[in-house]
Amino acid sequence: MTDVRAPETATADPGPPGRPARGARGLADWLRWGWRQLTSMRIALVLLFLLALGTVPGSMLPQEGADPAGVQQYYTSHPALAPLLNHLGLFNVFAAPWFAAIYLLLFASLVGCVVPRTFRLAGSARTLPPRAPRHLARLPHSAEYATTLAPERAVEVAAAVLAGHGFRLRRPDDPAQAWVSAEKGYLREVGNLFFHLALLGVLVSVALGGLFGYKADRLLVQGDTFADTASALDEIHLGRLATDSDLGPFTITLNRFTADYITSGAQRGQPASFDAQVTYTAQPGGPSHVDHLEVNRPLSVDGAKVYLIGHGYAPAFRVTDARGQVVYDSPTPFIAAPTGNLLSDGVVKVPGAQPEQLGFTGVFVPTWVDVGGTLQSAFPAAENPAVSLIAYAGNLGMNSGPPQSVYELDTAGMHRLTAEPQLLLPGQSLKLPGGQGTITFTGYVPWVSLAITHDPGQVPALVCGIAALGGLLLSFMIRRRRVFVRARAGGPTGTVQVGGLARTDASGGFEAEFASLAAELRSAHSQHEDSEGS
Amino acid sequence: MPVNLALGHVSNDFLIAAIVIYSLSVVAFAGDFAFGRPRRADATARVLQARERAATLAVVGAASVGGATVGGDGPLEVGGAPGSAAVPAAADSMPELPVPPLRAISQAGPWIRAAMALATVAVAAHLTAVVTRGLAVHRAPWGNMYEFVTALTCVAAIFFLFVMIRYRAWALGVFVMGAVVIALGLAETIIYTAAGQLVPALQSYWLSIHVTAMTLATGIFFVAAVLGVIYLAADRYARRIAAGRAVPGNGIMRRLPSTEQLDRLTYRTIVFGFPVWTFGVIAGAIWADQAWGRYWGWDPVETWAFITWVLYAAFLHARATAGWRGRRAHYIQLLGFASLMFNILVVQVFITGLHSYAGVS
Amino acid sequence: MFRTKRRAVVLVAAVITGALLVVVLVAGWATSGKRDVTDVDGNPNAVLYPAGHRPLAPDFTGTTLTGSRLSFSSYRGRVVVVNFWGSWCVPCRAEAAALAVAAQQYAPAGVAFLGVDVRDTTASAEAFTRSFDITYPSVSDSSSQITLDFTAVVPIAGTPTTLVIDRTGHIAGAVFGQASYTELNTILGQVTGKAAAR
Repeated sequence: MTDVRAPETATADPGPPGRPARGARGLADWLRWGWRQLTSMRIALVLLFLLALGTVPGSMLPQEGADPAGVQQYYTSHPALAPLLNHLGLFNVFAAPWFAAIYLLLFASLVGCVVPRTFRLAGSARTLPPRAPRHLARLPHSAEYATTLAPERAVEVAAAVLAGHGFRLRRPDDPAQAWVSAEKGYLREVGNLFFHLALLGVLVSVALGGLFGYKADRLLVQGDTFADTASALDEIHLGRLATDSDLGPFTITLNRFTADYITSGAQRGQPASFDAQVTYTAQPGGPSHVDHLEVNRPLSVDGAKVYLIGHGYAPAFRVTDARGQVVYDSPTPFIAAPTGNLLSDGVVKVPGAQPEQLGFTGVFVPTWVDVGGTLQSAFPAAENPAVSLIAYAGNLGMNSGPPQSVYELDTAGMHRLTAEPQLLLPGQSLKLPGGQGTITFTGYVPWVSLAITHDPGQVPALVCGIAALGGLLLSFMIRRRRVFVRARAGGPTGTVQVGGLARTDASGGFEAEFASLAAELRSAHSQHEDSEGS
Repeated sequence: MPVNLALGHVSNDFLIAAIVIYSLSVVAFAGDFAFGRPRRADATARVLQARERAATLAVVGAASVGGATVGGDGPLEVGGAPGSAAVPAAADSMPELPVPPLRAISQAGPWIRAAMALATVAVAAHLTAVVTRGLAVHRAPWGNMYEFVTALTCVAAIFFLFVMIRYRAWALGVFVMGAVVIALGLAETIIYTAAGQLVPALQSYWLSIHVTAMTLATGIFFVAAVLGVIYLAADRYARRIAAGRAVPGNGIMRRLPSTEQLDRLTYRTIVFGFPVWTFGVIAGAIWADQAWGRYWGWDPVETWAFITWVLYAAFLHARATAGWRGRRAHYIQLLGFASLMFNILVVQVFITGLHSYAGVS
Repeated sequence: MFRTKRRAVVLVAAVITGALLVVVLVAGWATSGKRDVTDVDGNPNAVLYPAGHRPLAPDFTGTTLTGSRLSFSSYRGRVVVVNFWGSWCVPCRAEAAALAVAAQQYAPAGVAFLGVDVRDTTASAEAFTRSFDITYPSVSDSSSQITLDFTAVVPIAGTPTTLVIDRTGHIAGAVFGQASYTELNTILGQVTGKAAAR
């Protein structure tokens, strides 16, 4: 039934998608307007800018995930500014809700754009190219030449040539009209959509990995073994949906760690190579394998990957207490200080010493030199090791209270035994004043720090990344283009007009393609002229 | 394997030679500006020509001047007589197939001939410098910032030579080669590092893949940035002429290609570089997973590479958005390049992270 | 045709979103399910497993701090308290006295105490047992293998952890973290059915 008021309704149409019409109905219209805005290119552009901008503080300020110590330092050096930045989430940008809002909106915009375009593409795959325009000379690329073929024949020949190049053709309904339209390059849009969907796939993969994966650290002294279980790991970060039972039950022993350093030249002291020889079993009671762990060469076991992240020295000490009992006899990992050449700091805690607990702060130097009274390390290899100790006695604070770091000594409840730091070479002992006992520097072994990671989203993310790259290349290299041919009779010879149009001014080269197509059409026509002898 | 210091010195000598020859080529390009044959159609003439064409389009069989073509004609000479701008209506007009490059160069005039010869020699010397450096250190020669800058400028120079020859864009030679000279000069003087071994974390075949891709992409974006600056200058000039505030003279601006052509050239350059950059980021992620245990950790360098990617993506989007084509898109592109330079020169050197291997103290 | 197409698009999007939501909800719900356990004294880290829900403790053999071999199967038929500890561990030191007292008080009831010394060395471990008058034996688990085996059946997240194993070799109660005397008393009372000897 025809709506009599149709013309008026037409003029009352709100027009281009802008704000909802005055007196609009309400929520549904606002939502629709909002959705149209969100999926517009302009908003996508704004969101891209916001994404780039929002990432900047994540690179300039220390982030809690990667550098918690740096965050603490920032607090101490900027006491007024730091809490404000924290409120804004700037110390954990990539987990902050506002950052998530930006990329989620961006992806919503992406999906809202891509899905309808996919439908449209599917639709256009069924529709034919448009009819040939009348004035082909107005097109960006055109050519014209004479031919003696009849117009219908000329168009047939042209259609054959174009079809041979893979164009999709449209012929006029009325064969008397001598034109043909050709279109090619639909794969461009396919590549474009594929690229955007693959980006979505990357996001989903990253989320999956974050949810179901885990990261753990363990410092392992040469000769020691550890099992991949929660209580044996130094640090463990589980994804939200991962549990301790996701940890693979493998065991690793560090047989031997060797580090080579450059001994001469401008780069003296720089590491040349690291190698950790390990034995591992994937399951308890399973067969054991020997392998080498190096930087850039992780170990794959039980679905997890084990990486060699760092190394250092663990000087070994034996402590005898006042009662003559050996109360400590073990290598103690020391951590490299920023001073360089693996000069390392560490702590020895002897809670079992009687009658008073003992504690020592120490500096281990792999190659010691005395520089004006300060102990320094001349080279990172242990060519001339020494350790310097300060002794304390009293209450370590270990019998109750919060857990303590094994690398820090709380001397609040202790009194200092030695006035000066005492330097010990391997094998030497320090007799503590007041008959408190003895500490002997028995030797040293290296330690390695291992990172154990499991990321189920890793491979999907890579696949999606490569797919995105493929889609990108496809969309850049293929142009959607149309070629039209019209033939006209007129006088002794007819004319053939060819026109070409590239839908997008992408990577270009259409001029050359059109020129060679035109030349090919012309030569095809002249060939047929000769063979048909008209 | 020990470093071959002798070859390292050879590499340096070739690089110095390249800088000198590049400078000479810049002089030759400038000479073409000053003394060379006037070009057929310049920025202003193109505007006039477009108006004329619009008026004559009704004539069937009009000259097949594609206003949008680059390979066929324009301010860039095609083999043929200069001054044949308006082709009279003919019954037979076919688009021109491009003239072979060498003929185009020889027809461009003695200054351009000299400049292109010098530029080619300079690029050869530059490439030799990069290759001998690689032979000296027995690995791909982009392990620290000095090597990276020399390699990327080499890529930029080669890419630009290709662009110049393909599109006959002689007028741009001064600017790009000049930028290459400046970049190399800075590399030699400020960030030079003697040939040496790499720290273990960099000893991986991924070095060849990831850093190569980044070097290539940076070189390509370098060219796009220079073209973008030229575009902005040409666009400003064209707008001033259209507003009547400037008169088309005979200076540098007249020699430049039209703004549409510059815009398209820049676009095509970025279209070439963006997938390479994307690939480089992916390869970097794979390498990061091997070395550091995670494929993406928002390390400062990773973060800024991401920012660069987003900005170039924004450029590509802007070109498809009404009101954002033209100047605004080029601002975005230049912002992207600025973020790239910031990444290389500031983030890698001053902001500590896992990427601190610049080798610069 | 346009209306139908748009509806199709909206429908597809809604179905996908709905499916995703369902997946996320189910995943979240499935992983938050708790086993059938009873908290002890209101402490969620101290639990009792009701009969029929008790995981089987794995067998293990090890070397004690004094150097002799010890096999866990030799304790079959007795109630055993297995305590994972280390001399470096502050909460272990804090609970040591409670364990020592409980060991003495439940000895007449036939309850055995056994320590598993984690990531430790002999000298420090012996000093620990001396300091706190720990008379029951401990096996050395420097490689965390025994811990790994137990983690397969109960969620041992750190040190200290105390497990109470019934006469059939099943884990009847656990304290994940520092154990107080009250908690030990409650659990042992339940498992043995007897009160502590004073």
